[in-house]
Amino acid sequence: MLKMHNIRKSYRTDTIETHALRDFSLEVAEGEFVSVTGPSGSGKTTFLNIAGLLETSTGGQYLLDGEDVSGLNDRDRSRLRNEKIGFIFQGFNLIPDLNLFDNIDVPLRYRGFNAKERRKRIEKVLEQVGLAARAKHLPAQLSGGQQQRVAIARALAGEPRFLLADEPTGNLDSLMARQVMELLEFINEWGTTIVMVTHDPDLARRAHRNIQIVDGQVSDMRNANSVAEAATA
Amino acid sequence: MFGYYISLALRSIRGTPILSALMIAAIAVGVGAAMTTLTLNHMMSQNPLDRKDSVLYAVQLDGWDPNEAYDSNNQMPWQLTYKDAQALLRSDIPTHQIAMHRTGFTVEKDNSDLRPFTADTRATTRDFFTLFDVPFIYGGTWNADADKSPVQQVVLSKETNDKLFDGENSVGKSISLNGEPFTVVGVIDHWNPVPKVYDLNNGPFNDSEELYIPFGLHRRFEMYSWGNTNGWKNDDSEGYEGFLQSENIWIQYWVQLDTAEQVEQYRDFLTGYIRQQKEQGRFERPLKFGLSHPSEWLVLNEALRDDNRVLGWLSLAFLLVCVVNAVALLLAKFLRKAPEAGVRRALGASRNAVFTQHLIESACIGITGGLFGILLAILGLQSVKHLAMGYIDQLAYMDWQMVLAAIGLAILASLLAGAYPAWRISRTNPSIYLKTQ
Repeated sequence: MLKMHNIRKSYRTDTIETHALRDFSLEVAEGEFVSVTGPSGSGKTTFLNIAGLLETSTGGQYLLDGEDVSGLNDRDRSRLRNEKIGFIFQGFNLIPDLNLFDNIDVPLRYRGFNAKERRKRIEKVLEQVGLAARAKHLPAQLSGGQQQRVAIARALAGEPRFLLADEPTGNLDSLMARQVMELLEFINEWGTTIVMVTHDPDLARRAHRNIQIVDGQVSDMRNANSVAEAATA
Repeated sequence: MFGYYISLALRSIRGTPILSALMIAAIAVGVGAAMTTLTLNHMMSQNPLDRKDSVLYAVQLDGWDPNEAYDSNNQMPWQLTYKDAQALLRSDIPTHQIAMHRTGFTVEKDNSDLRPFTADTRATTRDFFTLFDVPFIYGGTWNADADKSPVQQVVLSKETNDKLFDGENSVGKSISLNGEPFTVVGVIDHWNPVPKVYDLNNGPFNDSEELYIPFGLHRRFEMYSWGNTNGWKNDDSEGYEGFLQSENIWIQYWVQLDTAEQVEQYRDFLTGYIRQQKEQGRFERPLKFGLSHPSEWLVLNEALRDDNRVLGWLSLAFLLVCVVNAVALLLAKFLRKAPEAGVRRALGASRNAVFTQHLIESACIGITGGLFGILLAILGLQSVKHLAMGYIDQLAYMDWQMVLAAIGLAILASLLAGAYPAWRISRTNPSIYLKTQ
């Protein structure tokens, strides 16, 4: 599903060049649930941004679903992002002045679905996350956990094959976090590949595989049963 | 997607009412000020004779003071002497030709409650109506004889006919001009060329005349010009006849020459006439005459003056200032919405999509600003009318051309104002906002 080979990413100012990723190589198979851990500033978010086609790498090769995306233009990258990738963020990133229905509608608009198809998909995913009755509510009228479920619904509406989650439970209490995690596991069981960045060792352990990033490189890959001690808070 | 972007734009405008109102106000004030000035300039620089521009000519003869050229753009007098006009009228080269001037009469109608009133009058040869394509409602012009001998006939403007005869067919009826009976031979439809190209040096933005009388009535009524009469020579001759034979210039002269041959022949005719006059001791200046199309005549006479042009540029500069203000406000508004743009980018919006969305929002603000700008321009023109106390009533209104121009200007202004902020937000790195939102 995802294959990165010797990916490099550096940020340059007038005086300093910072290497966020250095010769970063990783493969994620279709249907996998991978957790990514590492200390702050290690490059987790940069990896996620490149994987999600929000940023381009400075060098190296990135194959998404078998397609080399390194040289694609913005329009093609946006199309791929829309069709194949779903995002879940720590801060939910719902658009505050759009109700739940319209928030979930956003990626479907860019996909070019007609109104009937959009409505069908939105109602379906709202049903799946248990918020069908609140379609007309604004995000501010929901709890944090509910907002994250809406964000998941929005990510799922386009039926992406690849879900990127950046600290999806970081802003939630433990009960809400558990519910969201169960939802992600459920989604993964349907066949969606998930890569989740987290600081929480318990959540990391629930993935199939854990990758630890240190100083912009993959320092450790192990299966989830032995991950708890590797994740850093 | 266009409809979606429009709905997003309206939602965004409603979401920030004060900021949006400020932007709309900035564009409205700029467009209003610019359109007020540009409308006046547009109306001033129109050529109402555009349709016949290629065949009509204003005639000038340089019979002025040999020691000092006439103070005009081409150093030739704007008008002709009466005797030169009479001489030119004898030519059979032009398809149509007219000698004319503005004058005035006191109008009375027998057996009427209408009080006598003074009417602007044009004393002209009969070709006036054909040469300028003046439309008639009733009747027509007088016979050719009336151009040479005193025939008391009159053509009324529509407004005068409405006033005197309630708009009914008045042909054959009689009115009194300066106490003398005149027979109405025709009534013209509303006709008011702006600028008044056929008589630019007697008030280019005055209304057209209320009455038209034959040119052959000069001696009968001792008519003088109710416009500019200029002279350079002290003549010994006395009385009205002396005035007619003097070197005073007060007659406007126009010809219609339909072919190049006619133009060439007429040039030869004018050259021959001036040479003949030189032999008689007149036209002491170098041989020079002018044949100007209406469009050239408007430029020569500076119907649109330089200060109006400067005012036009100043108003556009003011619009630019307003646009710059709108740029700043839009930039503030769009950058405040950058996190939302970041989310949209993550969800599949391309940079172009984000750019288009924000540009459409700018256009919505611009169109709204433009509509208010048109209202402000109309108010501005009303104010100008009020200040000018009726002098430029014909100029101070917006025709459809100018309304469309105002909308176009508003859209252009808003697109100019919105392009940079929209480009900036479409180029921001979404990941910055996604992490920090």
